[in-house]
Amino acid sequence: MLVTGIKSKPVYASLRADLGGRYHLMLGMGPGAAALLRVLAEIQGSASSALQKTRVLLVPDAGAALTTIAFDHLGLSLVSPFPDTASLLAAFRLVLDESLMGTRLYVAGPESFIGLAMKIALEFDLNKDEIRAEEVGTLARRVYCIHCRATTENVRNTIVTCTGCARWLLVRDHYSRRLAAYMGVMADAEAPGELPPVKVVYL
Amino acid sequence: MNDAQTLAVEVAAIEQVTSLIKHFKLASADGGALPAFSGGSHIIVVMHGAARMHRNPYSLLSSPRELDHYEIGVRRMEESRGGSHFMHDQVRVGSRLEIAHPVNLFALDKIARKHVLIAGGIGITPFLAQLEDLHDGAVPYELHYSVRSPEHAAFLTRLREREGEKVRMYYDSENQAVDFDGLLSNQPLGTHIYVCGPAGLINKVIATAKSCGWPDSHVHWEQFSAPPVGDAFDVFLSRSRLTVHVPHDQSLMESIEAAGVEVPYLCRGGVCGYCQTRVLELDGELKHYDHFLSDAEKAKGDSIMPCVSRARCKSLVLDL
Repeated sequence: MLVTGIKSKPVYASLRADLGGRYHLMLGMGPGAAALLRVLAEIQGSASSALQKTRVLLVPDAGAALTTIAFDHLGLSLVSPFPDTASLLAAFRLVLDESLMGTRLYVAGPESFIGLAMKIALEFDLNKDEIRAEEVGTLARRVYCIHCRATTENVRNTIVTCTGCARWLLVRDHYSRRLAAYMGVMADAEAPGELPPVKVVYL
Repeated sequence: MNDAQTLAVEVAAIEQVTSLIKHFKLASADGGALPAFSGGSHIIVVMHGAARMHRNPYSLLSSPRELDHYEIGVRRMEESRGGSHFMHDQVRVGSRLEIAHPVNLFALDKIARKHVLIAGGIGITPFLAQLEDLHDGAVPYELHYSVRSPEHAAFLTRLREREGEKVRMYYDSENQAVDFDGLLSNQPLGTHIYVCGPAGLINKVIATAKSCGWPDSHVHWEQFSAPPVGDAFDVFLSRSRLTVHVPHDQSLMESIEAAGVEVPYLCRGGVCGYCQTRVLELDGELKHYDHFLSDAEKAKGDSIMPCVSRARCKSLVLDL
Protein backbone atom coordinates (compact mmCIF):
# COMPACT_ATOMS: atom_id res chain seq x y z
CA MET A 1 0.00 0.00 0.00
CA LEU A 2 2.87 2.41 0.59
CA VAL A 3 3.80 2.51 -3.07
CA THR A 4 1.30 0.55 -5.17
CA GLY A 5 -2.34 -0.60 -4.92
CA ILE A 6 -3.46 3.01 -4.48
CA LYS A 7 -6.82 3.97 -5.95
CA SER A 8 -5.90 7.51 -6.94
CA LYS A 9 -3.55 6.25 -9.65
CA PRO A 10 -5.30 7.30 -12.87
CA VAL A 11 -6.49 4.64 -15.29
CA TYR A 12 -6.69 5.62 -18.95
CA ALA A 13 -8.68 4.10 -21.77
CA SER A 14 -8.34 4.17 -25.51
CA LEU A 15 -9.78 7.43 -26.88
CA ARG A 16 -13.23 7.28 -28.47
CA ALA A 17 -15.33 10.16 -29.75
CA ASP A 18 -18.12 11.39 -27.50
CA LEU A 19 -20.73 12.20 -30.10
CA GLY A 20 -22.99 13.68 -27.43
CA GLY A 21 -20.71 16.73 -27.47
CA ARG A 22 -21.36 19.70 -29.73
CA TYR A 23 -17.78 20.95 -29.86
CA HIS A 24 -14.54 18.99 -29.63
CA LEU A 25 -11.26 20.30 -28.28
CA MET A 26 -8.16 18.14 -28.62
CA LEU A 27 -4.67 18.30 -27.16
CA GLY A 28 -1.92 16.01 -28.38
CA MET A 29 1.73 15.51 -27.56
CA GLY A 30 4.10 13.65 -29.90
CA PRO A 31 2.64 10.27 -30.93
CA GLY A 32 -0.58 11.19 -29.10
CA ALA A 33 -1.53 12.86 -32.40
CA ALA A 34 -2.32 9.42 -33.84
CA ALA A 35 -4.96 8.84 -31.15
CA LEU A 36 -6.55 12.20 -31.99
CA LEU A 37 -6.63 11.32 -35.70
CA ARG A 38 -8.53 8.15 -34.80
CA VAL A 39 -11.15 10.22 -32.88
CA LEU A 40 -11.40 12.73 -35.73
CA ALA A 41 -12.08 9.90 -38.18
CA GLU A 42 -14.81 8.64 -35.88
CA ILE A 43 -16.42 12.09 -35.70
CA GLN A 44 -16.15 12.44 -39.48
CA GLY A 45 -17.71 8.99 -39.91
CA SER A 46 -20.70 10.00 -37.82
CA ALA A 47 -21.55 12.63 -40.46
CA SER A 48 -21.63 15.12 -37.63
CA SER A 49 -21.04 18.75 -38.50
CA ALA A 50 -18.97 18.93 -35.31
CA LEU A 51 -15.73 18.30 -37.19
CA GLN A 52 -15.64 21.87 -38.45
CA LYS A 53 -15.94 23.11 -34.88
CA THR A 54 -13.06 20.94 -33.72
CA ARG A 55 -9.96 22.61 -32.43
CA VAL A 56 -6.64 20.74 -32.19
CA LEU A 57 -3.58 21.92 -30.24
CA LEU A 58 -0.36 19.95 -30.80
CA VAL A 59 3.12 19.86 -29.36
CA PRO A 60 5.88 17.59 -30.73
CA ASP A 61 8.14 15.42 -28.61
CA ALA A 62 11.33 17.21 -27.62
CA GLY A 63 13.52 17.69 -30.66
CA ALA A 64 10.87 16.65 -33.21
CA ALA A 65 9.63 18.92 -35.97
CA LEU A 66 6.71 21.29 -35.50
CA THR A 67 4.10 20.04 -37.97
CA THR A 68 0.39 19.58 -38.57
CA ILE A 69 0.86 17.61 -41.78
CA ALA A 70 -0.94 14.48 -40.54
CA PHE A 71 -4.07 16.60 -40.01
CA ASP A 72 -3.98 18.54 -43.28
CA HIS A 73 -6.20 16.09 -45.22
CA LEU A 74 -9.09 16.82 -42.84
CA GLY A 75 -9.22 20.46 -43.97
CA LEU A 76 -9.63 21.72 -40.41
CA SER A 77 -9.00 25.41 -39.97
CA LEU A 78 -8.12 25.18 -36.31
CA VAL A 79 -5.10 22.92 -35.98
CA SER A 80 -2.30 24.73 -34.16
CA PRO A 81 1.24 23.51 -33.43
CA PHE A 82 3.17 24.79 -30.42
CA PRO A 83 6.93 24.57 -29.79
CA ASP A 84 6.59 23.44 -26.16
CA THR A 85 4.08 22.31 -23.53
CA ALA A 86 4.04 25.65 -21.72
CA SER A 87 2.96 27.62 -24.80
CA LEU A 88 0.37 24.98 -25.70
CA LEU A 89 -1.11 25.11 -22.18
CA ALA A 90 -1.22 28.93 -22.25
CA ALA A 91 -3.19 28.78 -25.50
CA PHE A 92 -5.39 25.99 -24.08
CA ARG A 93 -6.36 28.29 -21.21
CA LEU A 94 -7.40 31.03 -23.64
CA VAL A 95 -9.44 28.55 -25.71
CA LEU A 96 -11.23 27.25 -22.60
CA ASP A 97 -12.06 30.79 -21.59
CA GLU A 98 -14.03 31.31 -24.78
CA SER A 99 -15.45 27.77 -25.07
CA LEU A 100 -19.10 26.97 -24.51
CA MET A 101 -20.95 24.27 -22.62
CA GLY A 102 -21.26 21.26 -24.88
CA THR A 103 -17.49 21.05 -25.40
CA ARG A 104 -15.64 17.75 -24.98
CA LEU A 105 -11.94 17.65 -24.25
CA TYR A 106 -9.63 14.91 -25.56
CA VAL A 107 -6.04 14.64 -24.39
CA ALA A 108 -3.49 12.20 -25.80
CA GLY A 109 0.11 12.09 -24.66
CA PRO A 110 2.29 11.13 -21.71
CA GLU A 111 0.64 11.12 -18.30
CA SER A 112 2.52 14.23 -17.20
CA PHE A 113 1.05 16.11 -20.18
CA ILE A 114 -2.46 14.74 -19.53
CA GLY A 115 -2.15 15.72 -15.87
CA LEU A 116 -1.15 19.31 -16.63
CA ALA A 117 -4.02 19.68 -19.12
CA MET A 118 -6.54 18.19 -16.67
CA LYS A 119 -5.34 20.51 -13.93
CA ILE A 120 -6.27 23.51 -16.09
CA ALA A 121 -9.53 21.88 -17.21
CA LEU A 122 -10.51 21.45 -13.55
CA GLU A 123 -10.16 25.20 -13.03
CA PHE A 124 -12.85 25.60 -15.68
CA ASP A 125 -15.06 23.05 -13.87
CA LEU A 126 -14.88 20.47 -16.63
CA ASN A 127 -16.12 17.25 -15.09
CA LYS A 128 -14.90 13.76 -15.82
CA ASP A 129 -17.86 13.23 -18.15
CA GLU A 130 -16.47 16.04 -20.37
CA ILE A 131 -12.85 14.87 -20.51
CA ARG A 132 -11.29 11.82 -22.13
CA ALA A 133 -7.61 10.97 -22.09
CA GLU A 134 -5.33 8.32 -23.57
CA GLU A 135 -1.84 7.69 -22.27
CA VAL A 136 0.65 7.65 -25.15
CA GLY A 137 4.40 7.91 -24.67
CA THR A 138 6.69 8.01 -21.69
CA LEU A 139 5.59 6.91 -18.21
CA ALA A 140 7.96 9.46 -16.64
CA ARG A 141 6.29 11.08 -13.66
CA ARG A 142 5.93 14.50 -12.10
CA VAL A 143 6.71 14.00 -8.42
CA TYR A 144 5.58 16.40 -5.71
CA CYS A 145 7.74 16.57 -2.60
CA ILE A 146 5.43 16.45 0.40
CA HIS A 147 8.20 18.02 2.51
CA CYS A 148 9.23 21.11 0.51
CA ARG A 149 6.38 21.20 -2.07
CA ALA A 150 8.70 21.34 -5.06
CA THR A 151 7.79 19.29 -8.12
CA THR A 152 10.47 17.20 -9.81
CA GLU A 153 9.85 16.51 -13.51
CA ASN A 154 10.65 13.50 -15.69
CA VAL A 155 11.12 11.01 -12.88
CA ARG A 156 11.92 7.51 -14.13
CA ASN A 157 13.22 5.91 -10.94
CA THR A 158 11.47 4.47 -7.89
CA ILE A 159 13.55 6.82 -5.75
CA VAL A 160 14.60 10.29 -6.85
CA THR A 161 16.44 13.29 -5.41
CA CYS A 162 14.04 16.20 -4.88
CA THR A 163 15.01 19.21 -7.01
CA GLY A 164 13.76 21.47 -4.21
CA CYS A 165 15.30 20.11 -1.00
CA ALA A 166 17.63 17.30 -2.15
CA ARG A 167 15.86 14.70 0.03
CA TRP A 168 15.66 11.18 -1.35
CA LEU A 169 11.99 10.70 -2.27
CA LEU A 170 10.17 7.41 -2.59
CA VAL A 171 7.70 7.76 -5.49
CA ARG A 172 4.22 6.57 -4.53
CA ASP A 173 1.23 5.75 -6.78
CA HIS A 174 -0.74 8.33 -4.74
CA TYR A 175 -1.75 10.83 -7.44
CA SER A 176 -3.11 14.36 -6.99
CA ARG A 177 -5.26 15.67 -9.83
CA ARG A 178 -5.05 19.16 -8.36
CA LEU A 179 -1.25 19.10 -8.44
CA ALA A 180 -0.99 16.79 -11.48
CA ALA A 181 1.74 14.88 -9.69
CA TYR A 182 2.55 11.73 -7.74
CA MET A 183 3.44 12.11 -4.08
CA GLY A 184 7.08 11.68 -3.09
CA VAL A 185 7.93 10.94 0.56
CA MET A 186 11.36 10.94 2.18
CA ALA A 187 12.81 7.47 1.61
CA ASP A 188 15.43 7.38 4.35
CA ALA A 189 13.75 9.31 7.14
CA GLU A 190 14.06 6.47 9.68
CA ALA A 191 17.65 5.53 8.86
CA PRO A 192 19.43 8.36 7.03
CA GLY A 193 21.45 7.16 4.06
CA GLU A 194 19.85 3.68 4.00
CA LEU A 195 17.94 3.33 0.75
CA PRO A 196 16.22 0.37 -0.82
CA PRO A 197 17.52 -0.56 -4.28
CA VAL A 198 16.66 2.12 -6.86
CA LYS A 199 14.93 0.77 -9.96
CA VAL A 200 14.23 2.47 -13.27
CA VAL A 201 10.56 1.67 -13.89
CA TYR A 202 8.76 4.72 -15.31
CA LEU A 203 9.99 4.53 -18.87
CA MET B 1 -35.97 9.96 9.47
CA ASN B 2 -38.94 9.34 11.69
CA ASP B 3 -41.26 11.40 13.81
CA ALA B 4 -39.04 11.15 16.89
CA GLN B 5 -36.63 13.50 15.11
CA THR B 6 -39.09 16.23 14.21
CA LEU B 7 -38.96 19.80 15.47
CA ALA B 8 -41.95 21.65 16.90
CA VAL B 9 -42.63 24.97 15.19
CA GLU B 10 -45.28 27.66 15.50
CA VAL B 11 -46.75 29.57 12.58
CA ALA B 12 -45.59 33.16 13.08
CA ALA B 13 -47.14 34.74 9.97
CA ILE B 14 -49.18 33.80 6.91
CA GLU B 15 -49.49 35.84 3.74
CA GLN B 16 -51.60 35.05 0.71
CA VAL B 17 -49.11 35.97 -2.04
CA THR B 18 -51.16 34.91 -5.06
CA SER B 19 -54.65 33.45 -5.40
CA LEU B 20 -53.06 29.96 -5.14
CA ILE B 21 -49.96 30.43 -3.01
CA LYS B 22 -49.65 31.08 0.71
CA HIS B 23 -46.39 32.10 2.34
CA PHE B 24 -45.81 30.70 5.86
CA LYS B 25 -43.28 31.89 8.39
CA LEU B 26 -42.42 29.21 10.97
CA ALA B 27 -40.59 29.86 14.23
CA SER B 28 -39.22 27.33 16.69
CA ALA B 29 -41.86 26.58 19.33
CA ASP B 30 -39.30 27.08 22.10
CA GLY B 31 -38.11 30.40 20.62
CA GLY B 32 -34.60 29.14 19.89
CA ALA B 33 -32.63 29.02 16.66
CA LEU B 34 -33.62 26.46 14.04
CA PRO B 35 -31.08 24.07 12.48
CA ALA B 36 -28.78 25.54 9.83
CA PHE B 37 -29.43 24.72 6.18
CA SER B 38 -28.10 25.56 2.72
CA GLY B 39 -30.04 27.03 -0.21
CA GLY B 40 -32.13 24.37 -2.01
CA SER B 41 -33.02 22.46 1.18
CA HIS B 42 -36.53 21.25 1.95
CA ILE B 43 -38.35 20.26 5.11
CA ILE B 44 -41.15 17.78 5.60
CA VAL B 45 -44.19 19.29 7.30
CA VAL B 46 -46.12 16.76 9.37
CA MET B 47 -49.83 17.61 9.51
CA HIS B 48 -52.26 15.88 11.79
CA GLY B 49 -55.44 16.07 9.74
CA ALA B 50 -58.83 14.92 10.98
CA ALA B 51 -58.84 11.72 8.92
CA ARG B 52 -55.12 11.09 8.42
CA MET B 53 -51.57 12.35 8.71
CA HIS B 54 -49.97 14.27 5.87
CA ARG B 55 -46.24 14.63 5.46
CA ASN B 56 -45.41 16.95 2.57
CA PRO B 57 -42.02 18.24 1.42
CA TYR B 58 -41.66 22.02 0.99
CA SER B 59 -38.54 23.91 -0.07
CA LEU B 60 -37.20 26.47 2.38
CA LEU B 61 -37.32 29.90 0.74
CA SER B 62 -35.92 32.02 3.57
CA SER B 63 -32.31 33.12 3.88
CA PRO B 64 -29.93 30.42 5.15
CA ARG B 65 -28.39 33.20 7.25
CA GLU B 66 -31.57 33.78 9.25
CA LEU B 67 -32.28 30.87 11.55
CA ASP B 68 -34.82 32.48 13.86
CA HIS B 69 -37.47 31.35 11.39
CA TYR B 70 -38.04 29.25 8.27
CA GLU B 71 -40.27 30.29 5.38
CA ILE B 72 -42.12 28.04 2.95
CA GLY B 73 -44.52 28.67 0.07
CA VAL B 74 -47.47 26.33 -0.38
CA ARG B 75 -49.42 26.15 -3.59
CA ARG B 76 -53.00 24.98 -3.25
CA MET B 77 -53.16 21.90 -5.49
CA GLU B 78 -56.40 21.34 -7.40
CA GLU B 79 -56.14 17.59 -6.98
CA SER B 80 -54.84 17.68 -3.45
CA ARG B 81 -54.74 14.53 -1.38
CA GLY B 82 -55.26 16.83 1.54
CA GLY B 83 -51.87 18.28 2.51
CA SER B 84 -51.96 21.58 0.64
CA HIS B 85 -55.64 22.08 1.52
CA PHE B 86 -54.78 21.47 5.19
CA MET B 87 -52.04 24.10 5.01
CA HIS B 88 -54.35 26.57 3.26
CA ASP B 89 -57.58 25.98 5.21
CA GLN B 90 -56.67 24.68 8.68
CA VAL B 91 -53.39 26.35 9.57
CA ARG B 92 -53.60 29.75 11.30
CA VAL B 93 -51.07 32.11 12.89
CA GLY B 94 -50.22 30.42 16.19
CA SER B 95 -50.86 26.88 14.88
CA ARG B 96 -48.32 24.29 15.96
CA LEU B 97 -46.75 22.08 13.29
CA GLU B 98 -44.09 19.40 13.31
CA ILE B 99 -41.31 19.54 10.75
CA ALA B 100 -38.42 17.24 9.90
CA HIS B 101 -34.88 18.64 9.81
CA PRO B 102 -33.87 20.31 6.51
CA VAL B 103 -32.31 18.08 3.86
CA ASN B 104 -30.69 19.39 0.68
CA LEU B 105 -31.20 17.37 -2.49
CA PHE B 106 -30.89 20.45 -4.73
CA ALA B 107 -27.65 22.14 -3.72
CA LEU B 108 -25.71 24.61 -5.84
CA ASP B 109 -22.48 23.25 -7.31
CA LYS B 110 -19.70 24.81 -5.26
CA ILE B 111 -17.12 25.07 -8.06
CA ALA B 112 -19.44 26.17 -10.87
CA ARG B 113 -18.27 29.18 -12.89
CA LYS B 114 -21.82 30.30 -13.59
CA HIS B 115 -25.31 29.34 -12.41
CA VAL B 116 -28.44 29.47 -14.58
CA LEU B 117 -31.62 29.04 -12.53
CA ILE B 118 -34.92 28.19 -14.21
CA ALA B 119 -38.15 28.30 -12.21
CA GLY B 120 -41.71 27.53 -13.19
CA GLY B 121 -44.52 28.66 -10.86
CA ILE B 122 -44.15 27.43 -7.28
CA GLY B 123 -40.76 26.01 -8.37
CA ILE B 124 -39.35 29.44 -7.51
CA THR B 125 -39.15 28.56 -3.80
CA PRO B 126 -35.79 26.71 -3.56
CA PHE B 127 -34.17 29.41 -5.69
CA LEU B 128 -35.20 32.17 -3.26
CA ALA B 129 -32.93 30.57 -0.64
CA GLN B 130 -30.17 29.75 -3.15
CA LEU B 131 -30.13 33.37 -4.35
CA GLU B 132 -29.33 34.43 -0.80
CA ASP B 133 -26.18 32.32 -1.10
CA LEU B 134 -25.39 33.72 -4.55
CA HIS B 135 -26.00 37.44 -4.56
CA ASP B 136 -23.01 38.39 -2.43
CA GLY B 137 -20.66 36.06 -4.28
CA ALA B 138 -18.39 36.48 -7.26
CA VAL B 139 -19.96 33.74 -9.41
CA PRO B 140 -22.26 35.11 -12.13
CA TYR B 141 -25.85 33.85 -12.21
CA GLU B 142 -29.21 34.54 -13.80
CA LEU B 143 -32.78 33.52 -13.02
CA HIS B 144 -35.46 32.73 -15.59
CA TYR B 145 -38.89 32.61 -13.97
CA SER B 146 -42.02 31.65 -15.86
CA VAL B 147 -45.57 31.88 -14.54
CA ARG B 148 -49.08 31.75 -15.99
CA SER B 149 -49.70 35.49 -15.78
CA PRO B 150 -48.45 38.54 -13.84
CA GLU B 151 -50.85 37.97 -10.93
CA HIS B 152 -49.34 34.49 -10.42
CA ALA B 153 -45.78 35.80 -10.08
CA ALA B 154 -45.24 34.91 -6.42
CA PHE B 155 -42.39 36.64 -4.57
CA LEU B 156 -41.58 38.85 -7.57
CA THR B 157 -41.37 42.09 -5.55
CA ARG B 158 -38.84 40.48 -3.22
CA LEU B 159 -36.88 39.12 -6.19
CA ARG B 160 -36.79 42.47 -7.98
CA GLU B 161 -35.67 44.25 -4.83
CA ARG B 162 -32.79 41.89 -4.21
CA GLU B 163 -31.80 40.73 -7.67
CA GLY B 164 -32.87 43.55 -10.00
CA GLU B 165 -32.29 42.75 -13.64
CA LYS B 166 -30.85 39.30 -12.96
CA VAL B 167 -34.49 38.11 -12.97
CA ARG B 168 -36.04 37.49 -16.40
CA MET B 169 -39.83 37.03 -16.31
CA TYR B 170 -41.91 35.00 -18.78
CA TYR B 171 -45.71 35.12 -18.78
CA ASP B 172 -47.70 32.35 -20.47
CA SER B 173 -50.61 34.80 -20.73
CA GLU B 174 -48.48 36.96 -23.03
CA ASN B 175 -47.12 33.99 -24.97
CA GLN B 176 -43.65 34.49 -23.57
CA ALA B 177 -41.47 31.43 -23.21
CA VAL B 178 -37.84 30.80 -22.40
CA ASP B 179 -35.77 30.20 -25.57
CA PHE B 180 -34.10 27.14 -24.08
CA ASP B 181 -32.10 26.32 -27.18
CA GLY B 182 -30.69 29.85 -27.34
CA LEU B 183 -30.06 29.91 -23.61
CA LEU B 184 -28.29 26.56 -23.41
CA SER B 185 -26.29 26.99 -26.63
CA ASN B 186 -24.44 30.01 -25.34
CA GLN B 187 -23.19 29.32 -21.85
CA PRO B 188 -19.52 29.42 -20.90
CA LEU B 189 -17.73 26.26 -19.81
CA GLY B 190 -18.35 25.41 -16.19
CA THR B 191 -21.97 26.62 -16.20
CA HIS B 192 -24.49 24.63 -14.15
CA ILE B 193 -28.21 24.74 -14.81
CA TYR B 194 -30.89 24.21 -12.17
CA VAL B 195 -34.58 23.73 -12.88
CA CYS B 196 -37.56 23.40 -10.57
CA GLY B 197 -41.20 23.48 -11.63
CA PRO B 198 -43.75 21.39 -13.52
CA ALA B 199 -42.65 18.10 -15.11
CA GLY B 200 -43.05 19.53 -18.62
CA LEU B 201 -40.58 22.33 -17.90
CA ILE B 202 -38.04 19.99 -16.30
CA ASN B 203 -38.23 17.49 -19.16
CA LYS B 204 -37.85 20.27 -21.71
CA VAL B 205 -34.71 21.60 -20.00
CA ILE B 206 -33.18 18.13 -19.62
CA ALA B 207 -33.83 17.29 -23.29
CA THR B 208 -32.54 20.64 -24.58
CA ALA B 209 -29.41 20.43 -22.44
CA LYS B 210 -28.67 16.99 -23.85
CA SER B 211 -29.12 18.15 -27.44
CA CYS B 212 -26.79 21.08 -26.76
CA GLY B 213 -24.13 18.65 -25.56
CA TRP B 214 -24.40 19.30 -21.82
CA PRO B 215 -23.21 16.42 -19.65
CA ASP B 216 -25.64 15.23 -16.96
CA SER B 217 -23.33 16.42 -14.18
CA HIS B 218 -24.09 20.06 -15.08
CA VAL B 219 -27.89 19.69 -15.11
CA HIS B 220 -29.73 19.76 -11.77
CA TRP B 221 -33.43 19.50 -11.19
CA GLU B 222 -35.90 18.89 -8.42
CA GLN B 223 -39.53 17.99 -8.55
CA PHE B 224 -41.41 16.55 -5.64
CA SER B 225 -44.14 14.26 -6.88
CA ALA B 226 -47.30 14.03 -4.86
CA PRO B 227 -48.10 10.33 -4.43
CA PRO B 228 -50.54 9.49 -7.23
CA VAL B 229 -53.82 7.71 -6.58
CA GLY B 230 -54.37 4.23 -8.02
CA ASP B 231 -55.98 0.86 -7.42
CA ALA B 232 -56.17 -0.37 -3.84
CA PHE B 233 -53.96 -3.36 -3.06
CA ASP B 234 -52.59 -5.38 -0.14
CA VAL B 235 -48.96 -5.70 0.84
CA PHE B 236 -47.31 -8.21 3.19
CA LEU B 237 -44.36 -6.91 5.23
CA SER B 238 -42.12 -9.95 5.68
CA ARG B 239 -40.05 -8.84 8.67
CA SER B 240 -42.99 -7.30 10.56
CA ARG B 241 -45.25 -10.23 9.59
CA LEU B 242 -48.09 -7.82 8.83
CA THR B 243 -50.55 -7.48 5.99
CA VAL B 244 -51.34 -3.85 5.18
CA HIS B 245 -54.17 -2.58 2.98
CA VAL B 246 -53.27 0.35 0.71
CA PRO B 247 -56.43 2.31 -0.19
CA HIS B 248 -56.72 3.93 -3.63
CA ASP B 249 -56.02 7.45 -2.34
CA GLN B 250 -53.30 6.72 0.21
CA SER B 251 -49.65 6.07 -0.60
CA LEU B 252 -47.88 2.80 0.14
CA MET B 253 -45.62 4.57 2.63
CA GLU B 254 -48.53 6.28 4.41
CA SER B 255 -50.39 2.98 4.68
CA ILE B 256 -47.35 1.20 6.11
CA GLU B 257 -46.81 4.02 8.60
CA ALA B 258 -50.48 3.93 9.61
CA ALA B 259 -49.94 0.24 10.46
CA GLY B 260 -47.16 1.27 12.85
CA VAL B 261 -44.12 0.32 10.76
CA GLU B 262 -41.43 2.97 10.16
CA VAL B 263 -40.02 3.40 6.67
CA PRO B 264 -36.85 5.53 6.48
CA TYR B 265 -37.37 8.62 4.31
CA LEU B 266 -35.92 12.03 3.50
CA CYS B 267 -38.04 13.62 0.76
CA ARG B 268 -41.31 11.68 0.42
CA GLY B 269 -41.40 12.88 -3.18
CA GLY B 270 -39.61 10.16 -5.16
CA VAL B 271 -36.31 12.05 -5.38
CA CYS B 272 -33.84 11.02 -2.71
CA GLY B 273 -33.89 7.23 -2.91
CA TYR B 274 -33.72 6.87 0.85
CA CYS B 275 -36.89 4.78 1.15
CA GLN B 276 -35.84 2.24 -1.49
CA THR B 277 -37.34 -1.07 -0.38
CA ARG B 278 -36.68 -4.59 -1.61
CA VAL B 279 -39.54 -6.39 -3.33
CA LEU B 280 -39.42 -10.05 -2.29
CA GLU B 281 -42.46 -11.38 -4.14
CA LEU B 282 -44.86 -9.92 -6.64
CA ASP B 283 -47.85 -11.24 -8.51
CA GLY B 284 -48.80 -8.29 -10.69
CA GLU B 285 -46.96 -5.13 -11.71
CA LEU B 286 -45.19 -2.31 -9.91
CA LYS B 287 -46.26 1.24 -10.78
CA HIS B 288 -43.06 3.26 -10.40
CA TYR B 289 -43.61 7.02 -10.07
CA ASP B 290 -40.21 8.03 -8.64
CA HIS B 291 -37.37 9.97 -10.29
CA PHE B 292 -34.67 7.94 -8.56
CA LEU B 293 -34.53 4.46 -10.07
CA SER B 294 -33.22 4.10 -13.61
CA ASP B 295 -35.51 2.69 -16.27
CA ALA B 296 -33.54 -0.55 -16.13
CA GLU B 297 -33.97 -0.80 -12.36
CA LYS B 298 -37.68 -0.09 -12.69
CA ALA B 299 -38.01 -2.83 -15.30
CA LYS B 300 -36.11 -5.27 -13.10
CA GLY B 301 -38.82 -4.87 -10.48
CA ASP B 302 -36.87 -5.93 -7.41
CA SER B 303 -37.20 -2.65 -5.54
CA ILE B 304 -39.72 0.14 -5.05
CA MET B 305 -39.92 3.66 -3.60
CA PRO B 306 -42.97 3.39 -1.34
CA CYS B 307 -43.26 7.18 -0.93
CA VAL B 308 -44.77 7.63 -4.41
CA SER B 309 -44.89 4.25 -6.14
CA ARG B 310 -47.67 1.69 -6.00
CA ALA B 311 -48.56 -1.74 -7.36
CA ARG B 312 -51.40 -3.24 -9.30
CA CYS B 313 -51.22 -6.74 -8.01
CA LYS B 314 -52.75 -9.81 -6.45
CA SER B 315 -49.94 -9.99 -3.91
CA LEU B 316 -46.83 -8.06 -2.96
CA VAL B 317 -44.23 -8.90 -0.30
CA LEU B 318 -41.80 -6.22 0.87
CA ASP B 319 -38.63 -6.56 2.96
CA LEU B 320 -39.87 -4.42 5.84
